[in-house]
Amino acid sequence: MPTVSRKSERLINLTIALLATKRFITKSEIFKTIEGYEGSSESKERMFERDKEDLRSLGIEIEVGSFDPLFNDEAGYRIKQERYQLDLGEITALEISLLSLAAQAWQGASLDDAAQRALVKLNSLGIAVDEANLPDSIPFFSDEGLDLPKITRAIAEHQILEFTYRNYDLSVENRSVVPIGLSTRSGYWYLAGVDQSIEEVRTFRFDRVIGTFTVKRGPKKFETPENFDSQTLFERVKSIDAVIDVRRGKGTSLRALASSTKSIGEWDQIQIPILDIKTLSALILWHGDDVYVHSPMELRAIIISSLEDIVGAHG
Amino acid sequence: MAKNTPKNAVSPLERTSRLLDLVPYINTHQGISLVDLAEVFEVSTNQMISDLTTLWMCGLPGYTPLELMDLDFESGYVTISNAPTLARPRSITHEEGVALVLGLDVLRSGISTERADLIEAIGSLSQRIARLVNLPLALSASSDISHEVTTSVKEAIAHRSGLLISYHSLYKDEISARVVLPLEMLESQGYLYLHAYCFTALDFRHFRIDRIQSANSAEIEKPSTVPPVNPEKIGFAVKVVRPTRDVAERFQESNLEAGTVLKSSSFSQHWIARSVLASGGAIELLSPADIRSDLAKRAKVILNRYEG
Repeated sequence: MPTVSRKSERLINLTIALLATKRFITKSEIFKTIEGYEGSSESKERMFERDKEDLRSLGIEIEVGSFDPLFNDEAGYRIKQERYQLDLGEITALEISLLSLAAQAWQGASLDDAAQRALVKLNSLGIAVDEANLPDSIPFFSDEGLDLPKITRAIAEHQILEFTYRNYDLSVENRSVVPIGLSTRSGYWYLAGVDQSIEEVRTFRFDRVIGTFTVKRGPKKFETPENFDSQTLFERVKSIDAVIDVRRGKGTSLRALASSTKSIGEWDQIQIPILDIKTLSALILWHGDDVYVHSPMELRAIIISSLEDIVGAHG
Repeated sequence: MAKNTPKNAVSPLERTSRLLDLVPYINTHQGISLVDLAEVFEVSTNQMISDLTTLWMCGLPGYTPLELMDLDFESGYVTISNAPTLARPRSITHEEGVALVLGLDVLRSGISTERADLIEAIGSLSQRIARLVNLPLALSASSDISHEVTTSVKEAIAHRSGLLISYHSLYKDEISARVVLPLEMLESQGYLYLHAYCFTALDFRHFRIDRIQSANSAEIEKPSTVPPVNPEKIGFAVKVVRPTRDVAERFQESNLEAGTVLKSSSFSQHWIARSVLASGGAIELLSPADIRSDLAKRAKVILNRYEG
């Protein structure tokens, strides 16, 4: 198809010309020298405006300026080589290989194409890979076509994300959140952010979001909370430890969360940082009589009233 | 779009993007075959020829042979010269940066702490990429999979040798030692599984890799021909007392109201009893009667301990 090919050809020629020039070149110079700008002056103008937008949408930054400070009546354009080119500093064969593995982790998931494109660029640096020193574990991602760049852009630019969320009691609520962190573990994706209605950090699981995220302009002044820990997606200051006894040889899932363990005969006493009290109490109840909660009182109270409900319903 | 089918450029933008990336790639892979090049860029060979023909017409203003790129691909092998302006690869986009940073993080989580060299290299790469695409560093990805376990499993699959694994059974909350013959690793719903013949169960089983605590090579005999014992599913019914998200997710039923009766079945009586316990009174187990009465007894025993 000739039109498609000519459009691409013109965009490539424009890119080359704007990259090659040190000074700003004006629109009239562009129309005169670069192949592909044809027709009336209005249609050339329209073509050029669209081309600029198109190149910007490909992530190419076009600088606008004046090449003559005394006669700055006509704007000029150029693309800076150092902004156009991939610059990761000195990069080793091992690093290239690690990046290949990182890209492979997306196989079959939402960012697979983006990862592959990045990999082609990295491989164009002409650095051999170093496979001998690589880890041979196979990490991988799983997501249901999440629009992750939408989220990360919102984090970077402190935008507001609006979405409908299914609460613990199954009620459905609209949330307005300035996102501050994104995390995945055990197959789930989590978003942390400052909930605008209560001005506190909250964590949301993506599969509990109904529908899609809407992006809105964020608050004027926004600062990421200081105590926020991007690994756990919780504010560190809130995390108190639960002290619980676990029967020896039991409670593997609880032990995996423990920050400390000490043996007390038939039982071990472990401490678990409480990130979400409802999740932890459900996990404790799941383990039945192999677990006993000492503190905090709040957790004990939840366990006791749950057990009373269970006995009441089944007794 | 189906994976691995060549994408023929529909949008001129997509094509422009590919053309820009082709130049630096050929530049460092001089003499690459047309077929290989088409494969790298996931297009048909004909599309690649059309791409190269377009590129061949591009260059600096003037557009005489002196200014045009010099491409040669008639022989079926591609070389490029006189393309200094586009010779270096383009910078990565925000989306590509997200993919790499998260990919690096999940990679790091699977590396044993002894490989400080790798962990350090990954940390430095993440920072450089994040800076390049204005990416917050508040991204984290982790996998619960032990590097040592996956290494042993892969070796055992490759050598058709046996493994002694210690496996955490979630429903029974027991760690058991099993001798298995690993067959393959599979991914399903975000988890990685080992499909293996289990000499303890005398049948084929799937094991979640993240629940394998250790794996060491073991002597095995040929799988026995004794017919496997097929466990039967246990039917159960629960009544919703308080609709909660936990119950909805556990029983995979989103339309819940107080009084809703859910009927399902499970291979494990442990799973049924523990699920009711973990729901903390939000559901009532109606049947089977024996699990129900046992559950009531157990709940009373635990409660007495708190009240005693």
